[in-house]
Amino acid sequence: MSIKVNNPIGKKHRQETSSDRFQWIGKRVPRIDGPEKVTGELQYMTDRSYPNMVWGKVLRAKYPHARITNIDTTQAKVLPGVICVLTYRDIPGFNGFGIVTPDQPVLCEDVVRCTADAVALVAAETNEIAEEALNLIQVDYEPLEVVADAEYAMTEQAPQLHPDGNIHSHVKINNGDVNQAFEEADYIFENTYYSPRQMHAFIETEGGWGMLEEDGVLTIQCPGQYAYRDRLQISRALGLNPESIHVISSPNGGAFGGKDEITVQIYLALLALHSGGRPVKIHLSREESVQAGMKRHPFKVQVKTAAKKDGTIIANQVRAVADTGAYASLGPAVIALAVEHACGPYKIPHVDIEGFCVYTNNGIAGAFRGFGVNQVCVGIETHLDMTAEKIGMDPIEIRKINAYRQGETSSIGHVVKSSVGTHQTLDKAQNCDLWVNRASYKKQPSEPWKKRGVAVATSFHGVGMGIGTPDYGAASIELLPDGRLKVAVGCEEIGTGNGTVYAQVCAEMLHCDMSDITVVQGDTSETLDGGTVTASRSIYTGSKAIATVAPQMIQLLAETAAEILHTPAKNMEIENSTVIDKKDPSNSLTFIEIYDYLSKAKASTKVNGHFYLPKEKEEIKGSGGAPHHIYGYMTHVVMVEVDTLTGETDVLRVVSIPDCGRVMNLQGLEGQTEGGAIMGIGYTLYEDVAIEEGYHKTKNFADYIFPTIRETPEIETIPVEDPEPTNPFGAKGIGEVVMIPIIPAIMSAIYDATGARVRHLPATPERIFEAMKPMNKSAPISSR
Amino acid sequence: MKNIRFHVNGKESNVQCPPAKTLLDVLREDLELIGSKECCGKGECGSCSVMIGDEVICSCLVLAGQIENETIITVEGVGLRENMDIVQEAFINEGATQCGYCTPGIIVAAKSFLNSIEHVPTTDEVKTALGGNLCRCTGYQKIIKAVQTAAKIQNPFYAVK
Repeated sequence: MSIKVNNPIGKKHRQETSSDRFQWIGKRVPRIDGPEKVTGELQYMTDRSYPNMVWGKVLRAKYPHARITNIDTTQAKVLPGVICVLTYRDIPGFNGFGIVTPDQPVLCEDVVRCTADAVALVAAETNEIAEEALNLIQVDYEPLEVVADAEYAMTEQAPQLHPDGNIHSHVKINNGDVNQAFEEADYIFENTYYSPRQMHAFIETEGGWGMLEEDGVLTIQCPGQYAYRDRLQISRALGLNPESIHVISSPNGGAFGGKDEITVQIYLALLALHSGGRPVKIHLSREESVQAGMKRHPFKVQVKTAAKKDGTIIANQVRAVADTGAYASLGPAVIALAVEHACGPYKIPHVDIEGFCVYTNNGIAGAFRGFGVNQVCVGIETHLDMTAEKIGMDPIEIRKINAYRQGETSSIGHVVKSSVGTHQTLDKAQNCDLWVNRASYKKQPSEPWKKRGVAVATSFHGVGMGIGTPDYGAASIELLPDGRLKVAVGCEEIGTGNGTVYAQVCAEMLHCDMSDITVVQGDTSETLDGGTVTASRSIYTGSKAIATVAPQMIQLLAETAAEILHTPAKNMEIENSTVIDKKDPSNSLTFIEIYDYLSKAKASTKVNGHFYLPKEKEEIKGSGGAPHHIYGYMTHVVMVEVDTLTGETDVLRVVSIPDCGRVMNLQGLEGQTEGGAIMGIGYTLYEDVAIEEGYHKTKNFADYIFPTIRETPEIETIPVEDPEPTNPFGAKGIGEVVMIPIIPAIMSAIYDATGARVRHLPATPERIFEAMKPMNKSAPISSR
Repeated sequence: MKNIRFHVNGKESNVQCPPAKTLLDVLREDLELIGSKECCGKGECGSCSVMIGDEVICSCLVLAGQIENETIITVEGVGLRENMDIVQEAFINEGATQCGYCTPGIIVAAKSFLNSIEHVPTTDEVKTALGGNLCRCTGYQKIIKAVQTAAKIQNPFYAVK
């Protein structure tokens, strides 16, 4: 039977870009979880407590690389108050985890490869007893040579950290003939760029609860970014059916990719099996989080770029080496994304790109907002600026000349079929106040010895998984007894506000008020498997999944009302949580009445829907998953002020110009552009986790400087809306690209201010000062 | 163990605990006021900020023995959902909270700051007042705006400096 519903999925709707026809979508709606967050009433999982709880602790490796010769837990086990002490011998299933390659032991048996490694677990009556028990575990080690440098790790002399060697993966993309192009070039720029080991520094450290319920279900409450995958990894280690494990992974006190991999879930599960049914809590101290948590991959990137006098870039050669630390985690995917994005959103005909994901003993690196693109975008963007300067061309013009449009072939050789907003973002940049009046702003430094610079950069980021990784979206909608609707989407709340957008979409589709919507996220007993909250995918995926399932709920409501009212279902319309017979508006039923009827008939009031994210058909051979089908685009304009006496640099103004397709919620979008800009400033100017010979020298926030409110510049967001045709509302993704072009933009603005180029990030005062030295040679020397 | 008497959010509290227990743990564990968060445990981040008297302090740096007879206000004392303070409403309306884990500490610091001024603060003044609170999500701009909005609503006759 056919039911006429006001369904926004449909060709004629896609062409509309104005959000006016929507009641909720595109509106500046405040977050639905705001009230419980600003009052402190929201219980994060690490806030919970239970009357008969016990505390769990993890014994980490003493050395970054060592052979374990013996583990003796006797003394720890007899300490009063200790509930259990577990080692590798107590793992019932597979002793390993890791999203791409499960090469990380849950508990080390014969070797430790970094100081993040776990060797034993303790549960005790108090946190203090658990801590004391860790001291009583005797582990005998034979220290081994530490591999502290990724390029050294690639040599034959280096100790092999894993059976297949230290190069975990090698990906490449070749297109055209770079050698020929370098011969034909008018200019060649060749430089090496180094990037920092950035820390996610989410405010809520890793932690959570494990508990064995009376019915035998193992419940793990632990902030995460993909409940179903966490459950799978837990089930493998425990040798259990995933169905017997219940994972709750939302809300998170920040994640940024750092809770994508297993953090403490498997430790919680193991301890819960040995605590006599008592709930076990682990909550890492900041110091343990710094030592054990994933970081961003530090890269060394060598870039050689060929340009013609007219500003066209004809070749780009890139070699990127990523230090993934002791375990792969998502390292191979990070390097694959780096290779895919290393030539920017441009149409360079000849490229030769390769990337290596390399094991060392430097902690562990994994997923982090931007996922490899942050590290590689600086090369091509800097070389575009160098070319522009050489030929006297405007930096925005040179980007326009080289940027591909929809339907054109990208540098990696695929025809880009989805929405491309680069040119619109560059137009907005060209016309923004900061760019138009940059000469005048630069003339107004706050002190005579300070210099100002303004620069622009553009970049892009894939949305969703590349080729070879399954990518499904899913959602369910349930009619509740009080007539409200519960929308459930797997993608967790990690701070972005995706749940507010889910409520907006559900209210829009079901013609009800947003206050009539309850949102559930990240819970294997409540939400379907709809993939990760990563890869800038949760708005695209969640909104499309809800739009996929909503017509089923409309059908359920209309058919049920029709049955009760003895009216054809096609006459039914939904308004304000009521189903109305449009031929006789007095003939109507509230959602509550419909629920009562279905409930009495013992019929389900829940509908489920899935879809598969659009993919490219052909993988670029050897690329590790390129290309993506959808990309988000972004241009940043920034102004910096450099203190020429100290090298200290402030970012004073940022103009963020994203193309994320249709803006679903402007306040949420600004939240991303502003937060991303600040995280990009931290990456470029301040942040780096210091590791020396495998040991973390950075311990806490006292020695890890990231931007405070004092470093916040004025940030303006000017969105470009280039609707993506494969999303019912035209949405793409935004979470990662917001921190990418700002990195090379700041680097070029420092150059614009001082004439000094810093190629080793973070651009600390020392590095900027050193880079400025040649410029100061002619300056008068102090008479002291 | 020591019996410690103090006032929290307008109520008298009696807690039996070791005098070296941090105020943060006393609030979270003994009084179940979980709004104040531990993030760094070293006074670097401001997530555990509470008011003692008029002063904003990191409750992870204060020991139970030091709070005898003191008057303490936590985020729950600034306002709950049924009686939200102007500054809390401003944070919601301006979009100044994201993951929300740092938010309670920032609300406390912002409230204390607003109590101490009689004008709409400049951006620099807000930056100084909240300089001890780290946030990793928002980029702070909407926090600045929210404090200024709250000041305007608090007293519509305030001068904009």
